[in-house]
Amino acid sequence: MIRCEHLKVTFNAGLATEKRALRGVNLTIPQGEFITVIGSNGAGKSTLLNTIAGDIRSSAGRLYFDDRDVTALSAAARTRDVARVFQDPLAGTCGDMTIEENMALAYGRGNRGGLRLALNERLRQLFREQLSRLNLGLEDRLDAKMGLLSGGQRQSVSLLMSALQPSKILLLDEHTAALDPKTAALVMDITDQIVAEKKLTVLMVTHSMRQALDHGSRTIMMHEGQVAFDLSGEERSQYGVKDLLNLFAQIRPDGEELDDDKLLLGA
Amino acid sequence: MSLFSFLGTLEIGFIFGLVAVGVYLTFRVLDFPDLTVDGSFTLGAALAAALILAGVNPYLATLCAMFGGAAAGLLTAWLNLRFNILHLLASILTMTALYTINLRVMGKPNLALIAEPTVLSPFESLGIPNMYLKVIFVAAVVIAVGLLLAWFLNTQYGMAMRATGANPRMAQANGIVINEKIYAGLALSNGLVALAGALFAQTNGFADSTMGIGTIVVGLAAVIVGESLLNSRSMLVIVFSCILGSLLYRLAVSVALNADFIGFTTSDLNLITAVLVGLALILPHFRREWKARKAAQGGAA
Repeated sequence: MIRCEHLKVTFNAGLATEKRALRGVNLTIPQGEFITVIGSNGAGKSTLLNTIAGDIRSSAGRLYFDDRDVTALSAAARTRDVARVFQDPLAGTCGDMTIEENMALAYGRGNRGGLRLALNERLRQLFREQLSRLNLGLEDRLDAKMGLLSGGQRQSVSLLMSALQPSKILLLDEHTAALDPKTAALVMDITDQIVAEKKLTVLMVTHSMRQALDHGSRTIMMHEGQVAFDLSGEERSQYGVKDLLNLFAQIRPDGEELDDDKLLLGA
Repeated sequence: MSLFSFLGTLEIGFIFGLVAVGVYLTFRVLDFPDLTVDGSFTLGAALAAALILAGVNPYLATLCAMFGGAAAGLLTAWLNLRFNILHLLASILTMTALYTINLRVMGKPNLALIAEPTVLSPFESLGIPNMYLKVIFVAAVVIAVGLLLAWFLNTQYGMAMRATGANPRMAQANGIVINEKIYAGLALSNGLVALAGALFAQTNGFADSTMGIGTIVVGLAAVIVGESLLNSRSMLVIVFSCILGSLLYRLAVSVALNADFIGFTTSDLNLITAVLVGLALILPHFRREWKARKAAQGGAA
């Protein structure tokens, strides 16, 4: 479970460029819930994700995993609970290292530091099994450099890596945005599989309204650093992309136009 | 080239193999260009020589030299991580400070080890001629260090260090505390370079305040020569290609200096080094351009 209490983040506090990225976010995500997060550019979606991961320190408010206060924990310490996949396929893996080495790194998440060899036959077997789920033939290329794979392949492997260690929370930051539609669909498939299998609590930021409604069980829209609305259950199942767009218009009474094409297109 | 000078070349080549793996750790593994080595090589030699002259056991003196080098590496890392000083500049500051410290450690610009015991002394009773013994001893040390380092880079800790240099954001997302890895890597790298300095002082019988000048370029040359010869993903091959690179580099320099018809003298060494390293850096660039042009022509045809 994740609980945000009055979470605030301010960049460049006190300067002319001051930006209040989060303005008191209150959000409770029960164990095992899959939330999709939408909102226009600068609404605070990524800031929320990065604050939960620990990359950004909140300037006020508290953050709890289960009932543990993790507000003061570093990003590295939070990785015991949190796994993540980035938007940029290059960001989640080391291009200079082999597939098996990358997976070994992810396997060490949460219990690291030993002078034991990072790889052994048992782990290689585990990695091969996991990779064979992707149907990309990567299970036979364990010692290939990660940099040789395509963006979609790297992102798929990143997803597998995020699930190698038991974690409770998975943060997905537009992890299909840089992929072509076909690969994006494949990666979303694997996402759903892994989430269901590991019963993870998931926050997925997306630019696609279609994706936001088709995956998970709850959708929140961020606007100006706050949760503008929160859809779930019966109500959500009746929503279409058009209805979401209407909601968008409502929270922007000044008639501001949606300037982001990706938001309109359901990929 | 005489046998004597050939063995001398091998000996220096092996010793600078340690410098090469140290430079590989910072430049390639951590992506932290560290010029501290110019100072820590001399520091290792100075500490070992001064301690041996003060009557300390040579093995203990060598160990102290390594710790001294490691401390220098930590200082550079601290300046960079704690105060955000650019890594190159932080290492230049440490290197500059070390020049004075080395003079203080030695008490004068150079120290001679003539009749003093060295790490070689316990083996002198074996009856192997001294010029062979030195090469065998140095080779054994360097190969042992190479094996240990290759193993280390394949452990969980070592792999975390590699990820820190390759993709810090990914490393952090996987629970790696990156600052700690940078401290550890710089300490290890400079410790190895100081070990090289300590061995150099003991096999060559002196320590000199200027002996470290250009260490970084020689180390980098060895790494680049090694890389261009062997391209592998195996840590064992990579580490030993650094050592091989150092040997080949030394042989190349030695041949150049010994070829009378070219007319080089030892004072030309730095220019030769710079030209060799420059070529090693430039040639892969031309090779890529040539390949790209060929591919473009092939596509048009």
